[in-house]
Amino acid sequence: MIHFNDVSKFYENNAALRNVTFSIEKGEMAFVTGPSGSGKSTLLKIIYFSEKPDQGSVNIAGWELSKLKESSIPFLRRNIGVVFQDFRLLDNRNVFDNVAMTLRIRGIDEEEVKDRVMDALKIVNLRHKSDSFPRMLSGGEQQRIVIARAIVGEPTILLADEPTGNLDADTAAGIARMFKDINAKGTTVFVATHNKELYRNTGRRILRLDSGNLAGEELS
Amino acid sequence: MYLLYSLRLAIQSLWREKWINVLSVLTIAAGLFMIALTFFGVYNIDLATKKLPERFSVMLYLNDGLQEQEIDGIVTALKKNSSIEMVRFISKNKAMEELRTVLKNADYVLEGIDENPLPASIEVKLKQALVSVSGVKNLASDFRKIKGIEEVEYGEQFLHSIYSIKTGANTISLLLIVIMSAGVIFVCYSTVKIVFYRRKDEIETFKLLGATRGFIRAPFVIEGGILGVGGGVTAMAGALVFNYFLLHKLAATMPVFKIIVFPSEIFVSLPLVGFMLGILGTLIALGRIRFY
Ligand SMILES: Nc1ncnc2c1ncn2[C@@H]1O[C@H](COP(=O)(O)OP(=O)(O)OP(=O)(O)O)[C@@H](O)[C@H]1O
Ligand SMILES: [Mg+2]
Repeated sequence: MIHFNDVSKFYENNAALRNVTFSIEKGEMAFVTGPSGSGKSTLLKIIYFSEKPDQGSVNIAGWELSKLKESSIPFLRRNIGVVFQDFRLLDNRNVFDNVAMTLRIRGIDEEEVKDRVMDALKIVNLRHKSDSFPRMLSGGEQQRIVIARAIVGEPTILLADEPTGNLDADTAAGIARMFKDINAKGTTVFVATHNKELYRNTGRRILRLDSGNLAGEELS
Repeated sequence: MYLLYSLRLAIQSLWREKWINVLSVLTIAAGLFMIALTFFGVYNIDLATKKLPERFSVMLYLNDGLQEQEIDGIVTALKKNSSIEMVRFISKNKAMEELRTVLKNADYVLEGIDENPLPASIEVKLKQALVSVSGVKNLASDFRKIKGIEEVEYGEQFLHSIYSIKTGANTISLLLIVIMSAGVIFVCYSTVKIVFYRRKDEIETFKLLGATRGFIRAPFVIEGGILGVGGGVTAMAGALVFNYFLLHKLAATMPVFKIIVFPSEIFVSLPLVGFMLGILGTLIALGRIRFY
């Protein structure tokens, strides 16, 4: 589902990723970890077409990145749900509208939008907050709204960048369970985190990044 | 389709940035109103100059002592010419008679003149469509070649000045229209640029969620179109008021103004012109939408 072959990404003259090669299969759940600045976000950004690699080849869901027309990027992005590290919630819109954006962009009619948004909010246990605005929510609640927005479109790939950033252990465990359930339904899940609790004893693959190099791969 | 949602976004944006939008509608209206006035000017100059050549004729002065047959020959030849509307023969005596009626009581100046000094002539009226400087010039030189014609006279100077007024007015108004249109486009361009810039983060998020170029552009195009139409309708209202007060009221007191016409096509087309210029400005402002 996700294939990187000898991929490098440079910012100015610093390598954010250097000769990275790995694959994640369809239906797999995997993690990428490493210290701050090691390139985790950069790796995910390349997968959701937000950054272009400077070197190497990338294949996402059968699409060769180098052969991709720019105009087809929106349609590929619709197969990828992203939990952004910086949330990217729209603060002038309420929770419902934030989550609904994923579907409205696709021209889905309002009736269906309503049902699906409410379903997604139920999964993250925030149905009762649908009329609230992001600034009225706690960090953990905002995090779950972002997750709801990422899964409401039923993507084939779910990417999560530091999804438990500053959450307490219990809430983090709840989110870990959520990802497991989503993966159990067949969605490929790829999580970037330095929170060991998130992958401990899951039996999943962990990619370890260090200063942009893929330093190792292990099973937890 | 997402167009219904785009309309919602456009209306939201119009409301959120209402002061910028009101200002730009008024500016667009001012530009379009000037365009309408320019058209109005050109239209009336054109109308006025069209009426003038109706009285425009060419005089052909004949050689003295031509036989009646020869004159008839010339007249029939002229009548066959497709660019001629009317031919009238004026004999020497008739010319004298006309001169006397013109002079009226001052006909003592003609006393003592035994022999009629006036030449016989043929007055030729040209078909309107052909009355242009070069057209008349060509015809005049053709007439000069006809045997028996001594001299050809027409208001060359007069024609020249009418046509230079006309071309001058046309050039200036074309220039004005181009400048004003560019101004209207620029107003839409900068308004959309500002609104787009203020929503940059939101648009970036839309893109990451899978929005197409069409989805991103649509609300702005709708907004630009509404600004243009709004400006057009406002300008139309201005033009109607102008028409009513300046022309109707003025014409009532000074009938000279009755010949001035405000063509209704200008009113009707203002919103459409505004719409097109607005959308053009918007598209230029949006430019190419990138996903990387
Ligand atoms: N837009 C950018 N311009 C310049 N340098 C950048 C940019 N984005 C990232 N970098 C650099 O690339 C490196 C990798 O950044 P990245 O965000 O991928 O790290 P990360 O592993 O996600 O870190 P964290 O755990 O803190 O989120 C860092 O050194 C960072 O400073
Ligand atoms: Mg990061």
